[in-house]
Amino acid sequence: MKIGKLLLMAFSISLFVSCSNDDDNNDNTPKGDYDNGFFILNEGSAGQGTVSFSSDDFSVFTKDAYTAANGSDLLGKYAQSIFFDGDKAYIIAGGSKVINVVNRYTFKLVAKIDTGLLNPRYGVVKDGKAYVTNANTYADWGASATAPGNTDDYVAVIDLATNKFESKIDLNATANRIVEKNGKLYITESYTSSKLLVVNIAAKSLEAPITIGLSADTMEEKDGILYILRSPYTDRSEIVKVKLSDKTISKITFPEALDGAGYMDIYNDKIYYTVSNSVYSINTNATAASTTPIVTASTVANLYGFAVNNDRIYVADSGDYKADSKAYIYNLTGTLQKELTVGVGPNGFYFNN
Amino acid sequence: MTLRKLIVSFFVLMCQLISAQNDSINNLKEVIVSDANLKKYSNSQSVLKLNDSIINKNEGLLTDLLNFNSTLYFKEYGRGMLSTVSFRGTTSSQTAVIWNGININSQMNGSTDFNTISGSDYNSISVKAGGGSILYGSGAIGGTVHLNNDLGFYNRFENNLKLDYGSFNTIGINYKSNIATEKWSAQIGFSKNSSTNDYKYLNKYTWKGEQRWNQNGQYDVITMSANLGYKLNDTNVFKFYSQTSNTDRNTSLVTESEMKSKYVNGFNRNLLEYEGNFGRFTTNLKTAYIFENYQYFADNSTNQYTYGKTENLITKADLGYQLFKSTQVNGILDYNRTNGYGTGFGNHVREISSASLLVKQDFSAYWKNEFGIRKEFTNNYESPVLFSLGSSYQFNKLYNLKLNVSRNFRIPTFNDLYWETGGNPDLKPESSYQAEIGNVFTFKDISLTQTFYYIKIKDLLQWVPGKNGVWSPHNNDRVNSYGSETLLSWKKQFGKNNFNANASYACTVSEDDATGNQLFFVPYNKVTSSVSYSRNRITAYYQFLYNGFVYTRADNNPDEIINDYTVSNLGIDYAFKFLNSFKLGFQVLNIFNENYESLENRPMPGRNFNMYITLKF
Repeated sequence: MKIGKLLLMAFSISLFVSCSNDDDNNDNTPKGDYDNGFFILNEGSAGQGTVSFSSDDFSVFTKDAYTAANGSDLLGKYAQSIFFDGDKAYIIAGGSKVINVVNRYTFKLVAKIDTGLLNPRYGVVKDGKAYVTNANTYADWGASATAPGNTDDYVAVIDLATNKFESKIDLNATANRIVEKNGKLYITESYTSSKLLVVNIAAKSLEAPITIGLSADTMEEKDGILYILRSPYTDRSEIVKVKLSDKTISKITFPEALDGAGYMDIYNDKIYYTVSNSVYSINTNATAASTTPIVTASTVANLYGFAVNNDRIYVADSGDYKADSKAYIYNLTGTLQKELTVGVGPNGFYFNN
Repeated sequence: MTLRKLIVSFFVLMCQLISAQNDSINNLKEVIVSDANLKKYSNSQSVLKLNDSIINKNEGLLTDLLNFNSTLYFKEYGRGMLSTVSFRGTTSSQTAVIWNGININSQMNGSTDFNTISGSDYNSISVKAGGGSILYGSGAIGGTVHLNNDLGFYNRFENNLKLDYGSFNTIGINYKSNIATEKWSAQIGFSKNSSTNDYKYLNKYTWKGEQRWNQNGQYDVITMSANLGYKLNDTNVFKFYSQTSNTDRNTSLVTESEMKSKYVNGFNRNLLEYEGNFGRFTTNLKTAYIFENYQYFADNSTNQYTYGKTENLITKADLGYQLFKSTQVNGILDYNRTNGYGTGFGNHVREISSASLLVKQDFSAYWKNEFGIRKEFTNNYESPVLFSLGSSYQFNKLYNLKLNVSRNFRIPTFNDLYWETGGNPDLKPESSYQAEIGNVFTFKDISLTQTFYYIKIKDLLQWVPGKNGVWSPHNNDRVNSYGSETLLSWKKQFGKNNFNANASYACTVSEDDATGNQLFFVPYNKVTSSVSYSRNRITAYYQFLYNGFVYTRADNNPDEIINDYTVSNLGIDYAFKFLNSFKLGFQVLNIFNENYESLENRPMPGRNFNMYITLKF
């Protein structure tokens, strides 16, 4: 593969997958209708998932970018997440076992990856290949940890040059969120698993998992440390910090007032996290949680999507899944910048600049 | 809006209409109806009866029959797939389906899937608009659909066989046999309706440019019935009804990449009935056992499934007394025990008892009144006192006025109460008050029924997402539903030419009390009509359905609707001189190749064909 393409890929991985620092795009010519802005992924419920777009200055808004670009083609049910590689965006619709590959600036459909997937959830890209967690079947409520539904999850390996499923890595556990760092995949799952799974990409094999406790969900790697937010049902919420070089663990245990923490995002040396509809932040080197919210999004009934980027806080309300819901954008001190009416069940923000 | 266009077309239709669907029962031969109360206590409401000749002109499954011949609105997940009803703007569990007098709505989800019932298994199907919880219990809010097997006690040996073959490999086999003497009456039936159902989606292509078609839409519905009546003497009659059915259905895909799943469901119903007539005193005792089950295979290539089943035992004692010549009183005691178990809701038992009192008073042949009151007793929930009050006054030959006021309810289902996780054991039943005025005009061969109704429903059960994303049912909403129903029929004979026509029009406003929005999946307008013409041995018929647009979202987002559609069918048959009757028929369905959907992204078939043979011997 050409060095230039690799570099571009590496650049975009660091920029978009880790969802961290942003730079001003020096090249100001937009590469399509959906450049210089952000996407809101709407899960959908009875209907199809959709993707909304807003320009960073809010002057341009498209409620359903996929349909606008692709007419009657259907995105799929339960749009779960998007990952990026180069100028492509990969939209995962778990309920339809499909990944729609679109040009991230025009949203024109390039291909559909529709084999080898069973309830696909989240994906990362490394060296021209995508690694996508698949929940496969779900166990019945209250089933044992060894029930098939709790042990059949896997990582699908997809060749992004051909957009074809290539192989899978069985996990013998449940899998959901995924992060890639230095050739390793780190996987959490919040319903059944109490472990951080570690997969060696080159060997396509599982390494010893790291016990972090139940209900671990969002995570992000920064400076060799993996930050994981977990919020057990009847226990205190925690940020678990895993030092990837030696797999040692340290924790920031939240006070009881912050039970049921929701989401976390790291931006400019700060950890932003949510509890109910409030957003808090602490420094990455802090040892205790902040109980003073930056902002409380009082009209948000069920905070369902969260990101911090471009000096802004992005919050989505799931709504009732029966009607279009809303996204709210605040500055870092919690002043509302914009309220957007998006699609049904908005669950995530993705940045395109 | 298209309303004006609609009204115009409706009146055009009205003018053309020539009609009648209520062939009266042959009075010379004694027929014992399976549900005597349906006739006795529905003078103040409108009942549309669909008999054999109408049932035979429609596709096998009940959705098609009722969609083209009544005001009921259906939401179909593709042709032959799950089909739920909305009657007078209510939800799918607010229409009760009654089999020979017994409520058979699912104990698990509260509703009936009209694509699991084959119309030909019954002698007649009646649609009664309006509340009926006094007689039929839970779910009789919008109205009731009655599936009746009536037994004739006269000497006969008759066999009916109808064979259908149509597009998409659609096969119908419907056989019914009646063997009867003046003491015994037996009815045996078998029906099978199946299809590979792989129709093309009109003008729809995949991203690769391939023609899209209905994948994974196969269905196969098989039902067997046996009904037996024994007349010991003029005062004592015993009846036994039994029916077993299995529906094996795949679930059609919305997009090609989806998991192919399968849903298998079945039922077994048995009803033993005793009728005693002792002059002024009558008694009717019923015992029924109803078994219902489903298996859902999320991936039909594996043998893994989730399931649910219920066993329901019903005993009913209905004691009637003729107080005066003009006054009849019925007291009904009812006990109902349901065992339910399944992967979704564990193992639970529910017991419900009820007592009701009905009074019918005919001041004269022209003025008839009815009154009913009912109360349920159960540990599961607090049940309201239900009532019904109705009057019918025949002013003259031309005009009959009907008034009815009632309170009805719908109880929470096993899913609502016990679903893990999310089930809410503290639910109240949904309850409704409703009032209606019916005007029935009869002029020569024309009959016109116009009904205006108003329904106020409270404590509507809604599943809403709660904390941790767990969905849970709550008695949240209030709904006001009002509108009008018009039924028109005309029947006329000019020499050898027989005309027969009927039409229905429903105008429905169903508003969420809090937001004022129209409920989603309730059309403001629906029109049906059919015209049939026969001369000598040839019969030709035309059916028409207009379904107004529906919102698919609670917020009435104008971008999220299902467009209105018009579907027409044309059929012709010829009766040969062979056996008692030998008919060969041909139908063109959706003759104008309308591209339509009943639910978003679930296209229905374009023009398609069916041929049939009907044999009587």
